[in-house]
Amino acid sequence: MKLNIEGLLVYFPYDYIYPEQYSYMLELKRTLDAKGHGVLEMPSGTGKTISLLSLIVAYQREYPLEVTKLIYCSRTVPEIEKVVEELRKLMEFYSKETGEKNNILALALSSRKNLCVHPEILHANIIVYSYHYLLDPKIADLVSKELSKKSVVVFDEAHNIDNVCIDSMSVNITRRTLDRSQANVETLQNTILKIKETDAAKLKEEYRRLVEGLKEANVARETDIYMSNPVLPDEILQEAVPGSIRTAEHFVGFMKRFLEYLKARLRIHHVVQESAPQFLKDIFEKVCIDRKPLRFCAERLRSLLRTLEIADIADFSAITLISNFATLVSTYSKGFTIIIEPFEDRTPTIANPVLHFSCMDPSIAIKPVFERFQSVIITSGTLSPLDIYPRILDFRPVTVASFTMTLARTCLCPLVVGRGNDQVAMTSKFETREDFAVIRNYGNLLLEMSAIVPDGIVAFFTSYTYMENIVASWYEQGILENVQRNKLIFIETPDAAETSMALEKYQEACENGRGAILLSVARGKVSEGIDFVHHFGRAVIMFGVPYVYTQSRILKARLEYLRDQFQIRENDFLTFDAMRHAAQCVGRAIRGKTDYGLMIFADKRYARADKRGKLPRWIQEHLTDGSLNLTIDETVQLSKHFLRQMEDQLGLSLLTLEQLQSEDMLQKIAQIAHQA
Amino acid sequence: MAALSEEVLLVVKRVRQRKQDGTLYLMAERIAWGPEGKDRFTVSHLYADIRCQKISPDGKAKIQLQLVLHTGESTNLHFSNESTALKDRDAAKDLLQQLLPKFKKRANKELEEKNRMLQEDPVLFQLYKDLVVCQVISAEEFWANRLSINNVDHSLSNNKQEVGISAAFLADIRPQTDGCNGLRYNLTSDIIESIFRTYPAVKQKYGENVPHNMTEKEFWTRFFQSHYFHRDRINTGLQDIFSECAKQDEKGLKSMVFQGVKNPMVDLLSLEDKSLDEGYGSNSTAPSTSNTNKTVKENSNSAIIKRFNHHSTMVLAAGSGKKADAPNGQACETSSTDGNSRDSDFFQPPIKKVKIQDVIEYEDLHRENGKKTVALNLKKSDRYSHGPVPLLPQQYTTSQDIVNSVNCIKQEIASYKPCLTQVMSSSTASCAIAALSPGGVLMQALAQQAINQMVPNDVQGELKHLYTAAGELLRHFWSCFPVNTLFLEEKVVKMRSNLERFQMTKLRPFQEKVQRQYLSTNLTGHLEDMFQMAYNKFHAWQTRRMMRKT
Repeated sequence: MKLNIEGLLVYFPYDYIYPEQYSYMLELKRTLDAKGHGVLEMPSGTGKTISLLSLIVAYQREYPLEVTKLIYCSRTVPEIEKVVEELRKLMEFYSKETGEKNNILALALSSRKNLCVHPEILHANIIVYSYHYLLDPKIADLVSKELSKKSVVVFDEAHNIDNVCIDSMSVNITRRTLDRSQANVETLQNTILKIKETDAAKLKEEYRRLVEGLKEANVARETDIYMSNPVLPDEILQEAVPGSIRTAEHFVGFMKRFLEYLKARLRIHHVVQESAPQFLKDIFEKVCIDRKPLRFCAERLRSLLRTLEIADIADFSAITLISNFATLVSTYSKGFTIIIEPFEDRTPTIANPVLHFSCMDPSIAIKPVFERFQSVIITSGTLSPLDIYPRILDFRPVTVASFTMTLARTCLCPLVVGRGNDQVAMTSKFETREDFAVIRNYGNLLLEMSAIVPDGIVAFFTSYTYMENIVASWYEQGILENVQRNKLIFIETPDAAETSMALEKYQEACENGRGAILLSVARGKVSEGIDFVHHFGRAVIMFGVPYVYTQSRILKARLEYLRDQFQIRENDFLTFDAMRHAAQCVGRAIRGKTDYGLMIFADKRYARADKRGKLPRWIQEHLTDGSLNLTIDETVQLSKHFLRQMEDQLGLSLLTLEQLQSEDMLQKIAQIAHQA
Repeated sequence: MAALSEEVLLVVKRVRQRKQDGTLYLMAERIAWGPEGKDRFTVSHLYADIRCQKISPDGKAKIQLQLVLHTGESTNLHFSNESTALKDRDAAKDLLQQLLPKFKKRANKELEEKNRMLQEDPVLFQLYKDLVVCQVISAEEFWANRLSINNVDHSLSNNKQEVGISAAFLADIRPQTDGCNGLRYNLTSDIIESIFRTYPAVKQKYGENVPHNMTEKEFWTRFFQSHYFHRDRINTGLQDIFSECAKQDEKGLKSMVFQGVKNPMVDLLSLEDKSLDEGYGSNSTAPSTSNTNKTVKENSNSAIIKRFNHHSTMVLAAGSGKKADAPNGQACETSSTDGNSRDSDFFQPPIKKVKIQDVIEYEDLHRENGKKTVALNLKKSDRYSHGPVPLLPQQYTTSQDIVNSVNCIKQEIASYKPCLTQVMSSSTASCAIAALSPGGVLMQALAQQAINQMVPNDVQGELKHLYTAAGELLRHFWSCFPVNTLFLEEKVVKMRSNLERFQMTKLRPFQEKVQRQYLSTNLTGHLEDMFQMAYNKFHAWQTRRMMRKT
């Protein structure tokens, strides 16, 4: 159908449209008009992607000078492939409707193996790739830095975007890294010697270039050709490379010294935590390395590798890592912390020193993106509470909206189970999680559900170790044997290949009518990337609240930073983080309006307002007082009732073109959309 | 008329039937009796027709055997050889006892099949009532060419469906203490079967050791004592004969994992566009998986998890009748082709593409295109709507003419260009369409329209039944042509009389009823035409045959 979104003609490749899709497009259009950033939450399965693509492509056609490019970032490879497929569908619809040959060039990058498509990127109207291509400075510099300012950037499935940002800026250095760097440095030294004999002019030319400084890059940045790179700080662009590392030999010697220093730092017996300035002070005192040359390290190494015409940069990944670390640590006095641990907490007898250079501020990595592109859209099925993302990513959105799923029938049924039939509280709280009664009650819940839910059940635990312990004691208590009478059991393991097979068998068992249970882990690969549509997941059970492991020093440092810089209280952040993962887990089962499923939150803490309030609106809406703090029996009764209701299909919540043209209906849609 | 090839299993002399002496023969497929001194059987029953046999109680003077047929008829056989009567009877009885169940299954299946067909298909059931119950044709004739259609899936249903395995079969063994420091395990043949099917390695061990090395009981005792059975233990005991099984399981699991998954959407390995290099990231220190760092408890926990996955996989595989682990050679082959296809990164395997398209499709956002119907493919549609038409000198449009004109119209419509300056207003246009639609002002001359309003519903229903029944009979009749075998000759004669009988017993009463209700329309005219056509054909055939004979 062809839609009129506030004066913009949008081709939408379906005959009907969901009301929320219409509202979504409306908000999106307003964001683009304002040339600002937006945060939009809409449940999965309501056609977020196609709405985004339809509107932005239409916008591009209508205002080709305002928006030249769509950069669509998603998280996993299947997600990217889905986007490409939807795009193809849209393009087919366009050429069918308009009769003209499609003149939009779309490009998908799905693996770093295909990096040599550089010129094409500049011409494509639509680029689909993974977050890293934009957020990871190492890749962004290669792939994305020349992308036009007038691009619209979409981060889909963005509920974890802060972690991606942090990951892309954090560095870990182990003894092995240092050893390999040492080898790298030696190779460099030898290559330099060789080149000196054969082609000394080349090194001289490089030297000349370095005296000139990084003017080129500076000019480029000032004239706005490039997106800035957080590893290439502004200050160094104006200066020449310091003399102490300008010749190749000097630089190699400098790196050697730096490596020796790091080695010494790893030779410790107790945990050290320090800030970047402290680190710089220490390095100056101990080995007289100044801040300034450190900042040029990454750029200097790149230049050297280019000059030496080294083809396989991958071999030099270790030394590249070290040089990146050097630049980052000397550039950012805030937002990072350095933690040196002599051994793993679990194995205090085995020396395995690691230097964590940990980014605590996700806004550092994403800042260039917000600064460069006129519209950045952060969207996902679970972004609640919406206000936290602008805070931790440090940007000012022009639109913030959450759309609910309009349903003719309530196809999701969230229930909070707080007690066993013996009235013992059910919780994964640290103090009681090993409690025999809690484990037994969890087991009984699974057993009861396995008897009444058809086909597939997915259960998530808060961590892998916790799941292992529970499975073992369920096995000893004979609970699993009884579960097996109803369904087959498959369990996620740390091995991805093994888990893939278990997943496939799980689906096979759901498919052939046997029914199965998948025991899995929140924050694991399954919870983040696998959908359990229809009979593959008729119920999701979330055992406990998936808090992150709070004893980690890195996390503690991050929490402190959040408190000091963004005034976000530790508990608020931890709860937010736990709830977004819980929402992701339970959301795995509902992937559309024709789907239906139970969402069972098995922890009494979910009933509290501070937890419940952080669930996405589309789940919260269906969580009534009657579905809180239930016993297992009550849960079973409610579930049975729900499943019976679901047996008879289906109402529809669709809009036709005629309805969209009526004034009343538009008002109604607006009303629904703004209830948030 | 005993066929020569028939194998005779038992011959019993001096068996009386209806007070006549004779000989009883038990053949491979039937039981037969012939009177003394004649070389033909007066009694012959297929085993499949026999519902059961009954024998006279011991001590009775007459030693008899009664055969009860499915039709309800029965045949009494009296064994009259004084000295060996009892022995003869028992010999016959024993043999029958062995033979009957074999045929019974087949017979039952056929009966079941027939029953099912009748229940599932109300039209067929009505036909059955009209034709067989009213004895227009015999049941055999009725089924003759129906069951043959079903023979295909009949043979399919012959290889019987395997019963799946309960995932909890090990739980059913539930050991119980016997009160004197021992454990009792409940082991049934079903459970043993389940164990063998789920764990082929155990079956192999069983084959190797029982009964040469140990008794069956000993084998299972050891099994229950083994670490293998208790999944939470790590295999250490070397003398445990089942430690090898565990290794084999492990190997099987590994090869399955190595083969990877067929469904790309669940492949966790290719989920991420991995781009963080080693050393980057906030928690890149992966949990060490080496055993050295793990406690015994952790090891046993992960062993349990592995076993559960393995168990469920094997149960699933045993249930679906497939071997879980394909031979290794095949695995290598597939992986090598995978390697080749990787060259073209833009090429997506079709299965993946289909899956993705499946996922992104929003069914409910599409307009429904109605139910898909099967188009009737008719070469000559007039045959369908009028039946064979006699060549009468009258104005008649052949089907070809109609098809041609329809095509003409189609073409004209396809190239139709509306002259937008001269179009009707939409209201006038819809008026015109209404007038030209059935029931519209211009369409009232159509007689068909009236019939379904004039004739009461029950008569209509009856007429429908008559049509199906007559159609069935006529189908039988026409299927005899060309008459080129003796059997068909007989059948065609029989079918003609069947047709006549149908006309008398069914059609006439209906006609009378219609007349009584003073319905003016001739409802049965077409039916009678069809019958007449058949009679004419039969007549023509008969005269030609007579001519040939004379």
